[in-house]
Amino acid sequence: MTGSLKKMKTETALIAVCAADLVAFAALKVSPGFFAGIIGILALVMTGYLPVKLQAKLGSLAVLTLVFTLGFASKASGDIFFIGLIGILVVLIRTDRAPVWTKVLIGAAILLASIPFAGFKDTFLFELAIQIGIFAAMAMGLNVVVGMAGLLDMGYTAFFAIGAYTWGIFGSPQAHSFMAGHFPLNGNLMFLFMGLAVLATALTGIIIGLPALRLRGDYLAIVTLGLGEVIRVLANNMDHPVNITNGPQGITPVSRPDIGWFRSALSAIGVPLDARTDYQLFFYFLVLLVIGIVIVVNINLGKSKFGRAWVAIREDEIAARSMGIPMIKTKLYAFATGAAFSGAMGVIFAAQRTFVSPETFTMLQSTTILGMVVLGGMGSIEGAILGAASLTILNIDLLKGFSEYLNELKQGGTVIFGYHLSSLPSQLDPAKYERLVFGLVIIFMMIFRPTGLLPERRRKAEEAEDDDDIPEITETGKGGQS
Amino acid sequence: MSGYAVEVKNLTKRFGGLIAVNEVSMSVKPGEIFSVIGPNGAGKTTFFNLLTGINKPDSGNLLLDGRDVVGLAPEQVAARGVGRTFQNIRLFGAMTVLENVLVGRYVHIRTPYPSALARTPGCRREEKKAAERSLELLDYMGIASRAGELARNLSYGEQRRLEIARALALDPRLLLLDEPAAGMNPQETEELKKLIRALRTDMDLTVVLIEHDMSMVMSISDRIVVLQFGSVIAEGLPAEIRANTKVIEAYLGSGAAAGGGAASSDPATTESRAAAGNGATGEHHA
Repeated sequence: MTGSLKKMKTETALIAVCAADLVAFAALKVSPGFFAGIIGILALVMTGYLPVKLQAKLGSLAVLTLVFTLGFASKASGDIFFIGLIGILVVLIRTDRAPVWTKVLIGAAILLASIPFAGFKDTFLFELAIQIGIFAAMAMGLNVVVGMAGLLDMGYTAFFAIGAYTWGIFGSPQAHSFMAGHFPLNGNLMFLFMGLAVLATALTGIIIGLPALRLRGDYLAIVTLGLGEVIRVLANNMDHPVNITNGPQGITPVSRPDIGWFRSALSAIGVPLDARTDYQLFFYFLVLLVIGIVIVVNINLGKSKFGRAWVAIREDEIAARSMGIPMIKTKLYAFATGAAFSGAMGVIFAAQRTFVSPETFTMLQSTTILGMVVLGGMGSIEGAILGAASLTILNIDLLKGFSEYLNELKQGGTVIFGYHLSSLPSQLDPAKYERLVFGLVIIFMMIFRPTGLLPERRRKAEEAEDDDDIPEITETGKGGQS
Repeated sequence: MSGYAVEVKNLTKRFGGLIAVNEVSMSVKPGEIFSVIGPNGAGKTTFFNLLTGINKPDSGNLLLDGRDVVGLAPEQVAARGVGRTFQNIRLFGAMTVLENVLVGRYVHIRTPYPSALARTPGCRREEKKAAERSLELLDYMGIASRAGELARNLSYGEQRRLEIARALALDPRLLLLDEPAAGMNPQETEELKKLIRALRTDMDLTVVLIEHDMSMVMSISDRIVVLQFGSVIAEGLPAEIRANTKVIEAYLGSGAAAGGGAASSDPATTESRAAAGNGATGEHHA
């Protein structure tokens, strides 16, 4: 009785906050849109954590989607609404009881309408969404290697680089410098090169994996770390004697596919595109499509005998092999699959940026992607996506945005508690502490939530297993022999 | 062809200065239930690890169904129809009971990697077939109702059963059981005995088992081999082993040999005797 009363109260509270948000929005002219965004985020957190009825939950998600989308039309910076939309997607994924059609409906509204709308208002948000997408696809690829198969790969960017250079070299005049032919190749061949990059990186993964995967844990991590550096240094230095990669200057311009059909298709449904947004929207949709494929493949693998073999090897190598699971071959499959995802994203990356240079493919990049997988929850697909979204937003949006804000204050001669901000040394610029914040986030995650934000069911169980090893001890304590 | 399911000749394995298995020879006939016993540290588990390719022997021959398996990796030995369980249960604790058995089904699921990526109809068919067979095995072992449970949440006895089900999923011709009755009460042991006998006929198996429970060993085995300090000290029918003075000495220490009756059929006393034997035979196993 009291339970249902309490429930009633939480629901009323939720509805009240949602309504307040809408009102704040209606009064946009007097209250800044930012305020509506903050209330919206509050409502979202309540929706995520309060035990409310399913209908109330879905209803509030739908209202919030509307609010955040309208938010882009306000004068406030779109960041907060963008983060809100990502948050809605996360809550949606975690609402297990929701019928599939509602999930698809709200999800599609956000991905196909709200975010493009945001992008039209502010092209930076398009850029942000595409970056998140590319990293999410890579994080899911690395998730197969690290999360499912438990192989610590510290040089994952190597495959990203191979993919990017595969198209970068042939999709630009660069290939002229070492072979005859008509270069750059037609931009439409990018799709073919995605396939080629998948094959090339999978093959590289196998060649490198054959010796490396005989090693365990730390040793494998060191070997892959070395591999990542080798590829970057190669890219940096293969400009002589034969100029293949154009060295540190990088390669530009890289061709993009012809999107006349895309433009006309969109104008046919009433969405006119200009030169600023057409390729952004195109690459946004392309990345979404690839992510969709990557998700399906991930799920399929998880349910197949190979997915089970990975988990088995991760949990107990001896037992797994005694069940007939070929160790090296199984690990190679994981390694090559992860590499292939990364290679395909490399091609898209090269075309979207129209520029490839070695400095994109640093060790830091590899650790960032690994950080995304760990942060999101190893082995969990939605975790990899959330990890990619949060770290990308943190890196290229929040800290930089905060820096800019601080700069404005400095230039405006703001005084806080008698302290002149203009005398703040430039060493304290928040954008310079990107990596510090990244490191702190990872450290705190490992201490307080080692299984990640959205842990996979199995990993969760493994974690719990490590905590109570009592049955293990009584057993080994028994007939201990040889 | 030798006609033996397992044929071992002069098998030796050293770990540094310790000779864990020393010039061991034995042969197991198809369809036999064959027991390997001996005090703690006698080299029984090492012997199993040599059979399954987890350890490589330093010298000697190892034939399964007449074919040399020395130098094969564990997965290759398993693919030749050797299923095993482990002394300290080694289930995949964070997988469900059904998934554990499905892992054992690995070599029989004929899905090429690309069709697993796309989850083609062929892949689904194979998965369905494997799941059906796995449920059948779980049913046979009496734990079908637990199929969706995480393996780590099963009781001890159920975990032992699950481990056997997982080994059976390989459709083995040879089943190696490492102390299957460890930690079981007399009633559970009795059920296990029935089960192993039934398995042999229902699944056409040869069973080799390591066991400390003497009442079980004596009543279930067709033949027994006794290891001590890595060497075979006796081989024969249960009755012969029971009467063998060397065996009695090995278990009770040389002073107690005159007391005889090393193989009482009371499991409780056997357990304590095994422990006593352990103390007497000594420092060796540390």
